[in-house]
Amino acid sequence: MNDQITIRTEKLTKHYGDVKALVDLDLDVREGEVFGYLGPNGAGKTTTIRTMMDEIRPTSGTSTILGMDSHEMSVEIRNHIGYVPGDLAMYPNLTGRDTVTYFSNLRGGVDWDYVQELADRLEADLDKKIGDLSSGNRQKVGLIQAFMNKPLVLIMDEPSSGLDPLMQREFQKLVREVAANGTTVFLSSHTLSEVQRVADRVGIIRRGKLIALEAVADLRSKGIRKVNIFYDGDMDADVLRPLPGVLDVRVDDHNVVLSFDGRMETLLKVVTERFHVLDISTEEANLEEIFLTYYREEEVGV
Amino acid sequence: MLASVFTKTTRDRWKGMLIAVVTLALLLLMAMAVYRDIDLSIYLELPEVFLEIMGIPDGADAASLAIGVLYGFYGALTLAALAVSMGSASVAGEERDGTIGLLLGNPRSRTHVLVAKAGSMLLLVGLGALALWGAAPLVAGILDVSITGMQVGAYVLHMFVNAIFYGFLAMAIGAWTGRRGLASGFTAGLMALGFVAVGVFPVIEGWENVAKAFPWNYFDNGQPIVNGIQWGDLGILAGSAAVLAVVALVGVNRRDLRGQNVGVTLLDRLRENPLTQKAVDRLAGATRVSRIWIKTASEHQGLLIITAYLMFFVMGLLMGPLYGLMDQTLLSYTDQFPEELWAFVGAGGGSMSTAEGFYEAETYGLMVPISVIVVTAVIGSRALAGEEQNRTMGLLLANPIKRSRVVLEKFLAMVVYALAVGFATFAGVWLGSLAGGLGIDPLNIAAASVLGTLVGLVFGSLSLALSAATGRVRVAVFGTVGAALAFHLVNSFASLNDNLAAWAKVSPFAYYLNTHPLKTGMDWGNAAVLAGLSAVLVGSAVVLFQRRDLRQTG
Repeated sequence: MNDQITIRTEKLTKHYGDVKALVDLDLDVREGEVFGYLGPNGAGKTTTIRTMMDEIRPTSGTSTILGMDSHEMSVEIRNHIGYVPGDLAMYPNLTGRDTVTYFSNLRGGVDWDYVQELADRLEADLDKKIGDLSSGNRQKVGLIQAFMNKPLVLIMDEPSSGLDPLMQREFQKLVREVAANGTTVFLSSHTLSEVQRVADRVGIIRRGKLIALEAVADLRSKGIRKVNIFYDGDMDADVLRPLPGVLDVRVDDHNVVLSFDGRMETLLKVVTERFHVLDISTEEANLEEIFLTYYREEEVGV
Repeated sequence: MLASVFTKTTRDRWKGMLIAVVTLALLLLMAMAVYRDIDLSIYLELPEVFLEIMGIPDGADAASLAIGVLYGFYGALTLAALAVSMGSASVAGEERDGTIGLLLGNPRSRTHVLVAKAGSMLLLVGLGALALWGAAPLVAGILDVSITGMQVGAYVLHMFVNAIFYGFLAMAIGAWTGRRGLASGFTAGLMALGFVAVGVFPVIEGWENVAKAFPWNYFDNGQPIVNGIQWGDLGILAGSAAVLAVVALVGVNRRDLRGQNVGVTLLDRLRENPLTQKAVDRLAGATRVSRIWIKTASEHQGLLIITAYLMFFVMGLLMGPLYGLMDQTLLSYTDQFPEELWAFVGAGGGSMSTAEGFYEAETYGLMVPISVIVVTAVIGSRALAGEEQNRTMGLLLANPIKRSRVVLEKFLAMVVYALAVGFATFAGVWLGSLAGGLGIDPLNIAAASVLGTLVGLVFGSLSLALSAATGRVRVAVFGTVGAALAFHLVNSFASLNDNLAAWAKVSPFAYYLNTHPLKTGMDWGNAAVLAGLSAVLVGSAVVLFQRRDLRQTG
């Protein structure tokens, strides 16, 4: 990865009537970087990607890929892009091989040895009609057509949906390999563990606005820990909420789970004074917990 | 409105029926206004048998002629087409959309779903028929034309039963096969053939009864507009519809539901057969996907084969020898026909006493434009909007190709289809002329076929433009069919009235048969107008498609 910017959005905004699907999105993705784009349903992830792909046009702002405007130079850009749309659909009457042939014809050829290598790695059957494939196997054909031209930029919207865990791992390996060779990967996902494994940086979007943009390593080094307290008797867990560093408190049948990035000493003092503690454990929070913490903070207006 | 399958289906469909009924009422107003101002005494001198064949009631007057043409042709076809659309979509449509599994995941049986859909079809077609019943006295009142003594209610009842017969036929085919295209295509083909058959066979001595094999015969054979309800005919249609409803119920409960809409084409079948696999593999695989237009053209092979066959064999080749069998004395009466009678067949004046006039009336008048419009509008509507609806457009446009190239390649596929149908018609009519010893100049046949192809292509281009502008298949299909019907009628009727004659020129059909190309040969000016119109529409499609956001779902 180097500092060359491959994907850039500036004040990118998309309105559908009164609905603000995307608001002033500023984003830079560097060459060779794997960028994870996270957000709940309807947050604006797919709108961002469709705008980058010139499927839809921004209300205002710009999006550039490889230094070219996504709309003005869309055809030139697509020479260098591999794309997996969200909710992937393909031609049910064509076989996987026909589908790959079709797109390779539109691109002026393809390295069939590489296609076969991808098919072998993903265990894809290219001789069956798309309509006869399960959704996971259909997704494999979608991935093959995106990777097959060794593109400079890969844009993928929920690419591993439908894949079984083994195939998800193989896909993640593939992503890391192409990124190591200089391909920039823009990946929208719900699967946080996947983003945690493959992404260098994550952007978190909510209601069309980017609310966080950080390196995965930085997110994890924030020191957010998950604390699990089992206690006996009655007590009011709300007393924990105002404590400095307590981000998110959930109570369930004599068990309190909270995210915490403050001084452990302070927390333990309050807990041991107010609770009859049976057990306590702490662990490093994974991305999912960090992610959920961000959203809870947003919801309560922190 | 989402309380049940019945109410949801009704909610999804009521707008189409409303638009159709309002359009028909307005067209009735226009037709009645035209007929009111012309001298109709000529009809009284024609032989009774001919009046009967042409469906002209005794004592014809403005109201009966207008209602006869509007309701008997445009109205009956529109109502039946809407019923076919609903019937074919009932279960096969949900399968195509991939929603049938979800729907049947609820505690509703297949029988329940089908009955609800059938109920909605009956309700909407019934309401449409009732509205048309009400429109007749309303329009007559506005124009101060008397409709006393006319059995409009009986006529509309016949239209209703006729429509639901075809609706249940499409429903039964869809229920047994799960293929909406097959259901609507076969039913529409049978309708079109029946329409032609009831016009041709009664004029051939000894073949009069052949017309009875076609369901369309039982719609207005007994002239219900004059004679009231024909219970025998109605019973045959209603009884058949009931049988078809039962057939549909049995079918939908017996077979496996289709999980995905995987159509099996002729090439696919040959590709799977070991004997032909090697030869066809390349054609069905690599060749099929070599270009966007070739892939597009490969997607509707069945429709093209059936339509081209129909035009070549039935409307071309068979018509020649049939003409020789017809009662020439009877045909000679057509020399006396006033122009307005030709409005029935859209031929804009002519005579069936010559082979050219006969072919213009029977083959070129309606069937050529309908056939070309059907094949081109299917491509035009599905080409862009269909890919958006199926969510494949994003993937296609992820390749380094301009949107304009997609539109133009889809148009190219449409041109190929139109030319194929045009050529099939040319070849069929030429061979028919030779077989029947009719001696029609092949250059003139080519001229009429080219103009017919072009007029169809204009409407195909319109469907492409609507598809490009809206991304909605239904808008493209119904917009095109509606425009074709309205322009056909405008050309047929506006030219009859001096005050409206200038309006006829706005119709593309005015540049087709009005100069009688089968007799007079090619009119290059007309060809240029039609080609230019098509080019303008395709140009608009390119601009409109480039400008807008792609739809995310259908």
